[in-house]
Amino acid sequence: MVVMWVFMILVWRVLSRVLRRFGRWAVLVPVTAMGAAVFGLNVWTAGTVVLALILAALLALTLAARRAGPAGGRPGPAGPADPGGAAGRPGPAALLPLMMVAAGVCGLWAAVTTLLPWGTNSVSVLQAAAGLGPVPGGPAKLAGQGFTSPGKGSGQAFASPGKGDAVVTPIPKPSSPAQFAALQNARRQLAQAYRRQVARGSTVSRVSRPLHPVVHGPPLWWGRMLLLGSLLLLAVGLWLLPRALSDLRTWLEPVTPRLRRWVREGNWGILLPPVTALGLTMFGVRPWTVAAVVAAVILAIVRPRLAADLVPLVLVFFALYGFMLVSRLSGPRAFMTPTQFGAVDVDSVPTSVLAGMEASVLLAFAAWLFPRTIGAHARTKTATGHEVELAGRVQRLTETRGHAVDSAAAELRRIERDLHDGAQARLVALGMNLRALERMLPASPDAARELAAEAIQTSARALRDLRLLVRGIYPPVLADRGLSHAVRALALDTALPVDLDVDVPGRLSAPVESACYFAVAEALANAVKHSGARRIHVRIQHAAGMLRIEVADDGAGGADPARGTGLRGVERRLGTFDGILAVSSPPGGPTMIAMEVPCELSSPKTYSCSGTG
Amino acid sequence: LRVVVAEDLFLLRDGLTRLLSAHGFEIAAAVDTAPGLLRALLTQRPDVAVVDVRLPPGFADDGLQAALAARRQVPGLPVLLLSQYVEQLYAREMLADRVGGVGYLLKDRVFNDDQFVDAIRTVAGGGTVLDPEVVTKLVGRRSHDEPLARLSGREREVLGLMAEGRSNAAIAQQLFVTEKAVSKHTTSIFTKLGLAASEDDNRRVLAVLAYLNS
Repeated sequence: MVVMWVFMILVWRVLSRVLRRFGRWAVLVPVTAMGAAVFGLNVWTAGTVVLALILAALLALTLAARRAGPAGGRPGPAGPADPGGAAGRPGPAALLPLMMVAAGVCGLWAAVTTLLPWGTNSVSVLQAAAGLGPVPGGPAKLAGQGFTSPGKGSGQAFASPGKGDAVVTPIPKPSSPAQFAALQNARRQLAQAYRRQVARGSTVSRVSRPLHPVVHGPPLWWGRMLLLGSLLLLAVGLWLLPRALSDLRTWLEPVTPRLRRWVREGNWGILLPPVTALGLTMFGVRPWTVAAVVAAVILAIVRPRLAADLVPLVLVFFALYGFMLVSRLSGPRAFMTPTQFGAVDVDSVPTSVLAGMEASVLLAFAAWLFPRTIGAHARTKTATGHEVELAGRVQRLTETRGHAVDSAAAELRRIERDLHDGAQARLVALGMNLRALERMLPASPDAARELAAEAIQTSARALRDLRLLVRGIYPPVLADRGLSHAVRALALDTALPVDLDVDVPGRLSAPVESACYFAVAEALANAVKHSGARRIHVRIQHAAGMLRIEVADDGAGGADPARGTGLRGVERRLGTFDGILAVSSPPGGPTMIAMEVPCELSSPKTYSCSGTG
Repeated sequence: LRVVVAEDLFLLRDGLTRLLSAHGFEIAAAVDTAPGLLRALLTQRPDVAVVDVRLPPGFADDGLQAALAARRQVPGLPVLLLSQYVEQLYAREMLADRVGGVGYLLKDRVFNDDQFVDAIRTVAGGGTVLDPEVVTKLVGRRSHDEPLARLSGREREVLGLMAEGRSNAAIAQQLFVTEKAVSKHTTSIFTKLGLAASEDDNRRVLAVLAYLNS
């Protein structure tokens, strides 16, 4: 049963792809496959599956041909995927061996449980109705609407038949052809009754659990046939399997990564319906179980995460139930009503062992699923969007911090060099001059006067150097009055007329102020040097915690921030404050450099701006 | 001439007072904060004030603000600003009242004490003295102002020297022309800038202001 369900999940996942790819006709395949699974495999269902497969293959072929037709003129790369006509090979055909193997395994299971001496020789209603399985030799009763419970234990007589009930005479050990014929008859009646139920539109819920008749009968001839057939099917399927699998892999190659991701992202929830349905076979089918299945399906669709978390829990529950059944058989009341658990009817020690194994498998599966569903979800509970955002933020901060540290170091190096080569050197010269002056003063006053003049000049130059340096570190007007005045002063010093539109009612934090100032200075310098513009427009506004700076000129355009280092440096410097820079400069102009820096204003400014640029 | 000196660095304040005393100025007060400066300007009413732009308590442009405040109460109070840097912005703010008696020099200019003292006297006399660095920037700038664009190259040169506070004689000496020629240029400048013939010094201030506003 488990095998069947797993198989069905696989088939369904694959086939839904096929469905999407090849259209409605492909629905034949899953439907027939489901039919085969529900009714067991016989000549008819197998035939239908094969027919469906052939149909689907034909359809796929024609579709592929039609698709390849218009695209045929395009020269395709002669890759390794091309030879062998990979495009023409239909994927669904590769499923056939898989199905054969699966059907063989199912048949083998049925045959083995029938033939082995300790086997239950049990047959489910479904199998009986499909014409499979041993003849129910035990007590069975078919009522018009439902089925009543057999007596305690197999092979025992049971309640008297009501009107319209079909009675199967209990024949515990059929040994003669007549007995066998009677059993055959009973089986047929059982099957017919079941089919009637189904035909009437009643669902499986009408069939109650105790209906599954369990008999201990001798191995039957068709059990051997089943064994043979299954083996044959298995052999052919296995022979075809490797090739089919590789085909399937290449065919599914474009979807597998997505499938894998889909499954990883919590869509194990798709397992909930089959796992719940597994419960149906254990508890019999009742309206509430159907409701549970429906709810599970809805849950799997609407809340895949929750559904995925429920899957292992449900599995654990079923496994515990199985262990409970096993334990019930080990007590003094070792005999009990046969209870189906998964694929086995638990009514004896050997079957309880099987049930225990089944429960173990379920438990193992649950354990395997745990870290992939509940565990993973608990780990990433607060994750998803928020965490991804945080991760991006961390990366951005790491980057900009790196830039900030680098540029600070570079700046310090520049200042050190400027001081060393400029003011420091001039002061040394000044000191030497004064020393010489001191020596010369008594002897030659004229030469001393010359030296003094030189010393004065040197000191003036040292001052000028320092002034330039200070201006480059932190412009005095910026320090005195803030960004709007500093930009105004900058505009006054610019060789081109600058229209100013500044609305910053307060001071920004010093680092932001400085970064913005140098950004504007760089943009203005670029405009003057490269654009050939006649006017520059600078617009600075602070609104909603965001400082927006626009520097536009009517020049030739074609500015490329990737080419020069200036604007990129500005971008990095602004990036430290989460600021951004955008350049729009089509050839022919105009050029517009826009910057945005999130920042808050501190105190309102105390000075009013007068005059315009 | 009575002078108020405002400078927060002791060495510089001391040097300034000694230099000014040596040139015959009377030191009315030597202060080291902006509020002290404002008080001194309003109580002492000096003939001229020599003021450092950056003063306590703000260490920003407190000196400038105090000087502007004093000039609002005493229009035309002559003030010579000293600074480690010169900004056109500040020059324009000083000149905005169009009265004159304003100077704005780099501290380096103190080295040349003759020129420095001349500048102080010009400011005290209601003239305008701008640092050559400010003027250089103005000259480097292309003019887009209609009246200023009409000036000839030589006239612009003369206007620049005028902004530095030079007298006609000094300008003539600098440009190697006769004083008469300079006078002709200045008259032409005033005409082109639309400045009516009134008081000569004030016209010079207005011409410089027009120059700054170009």
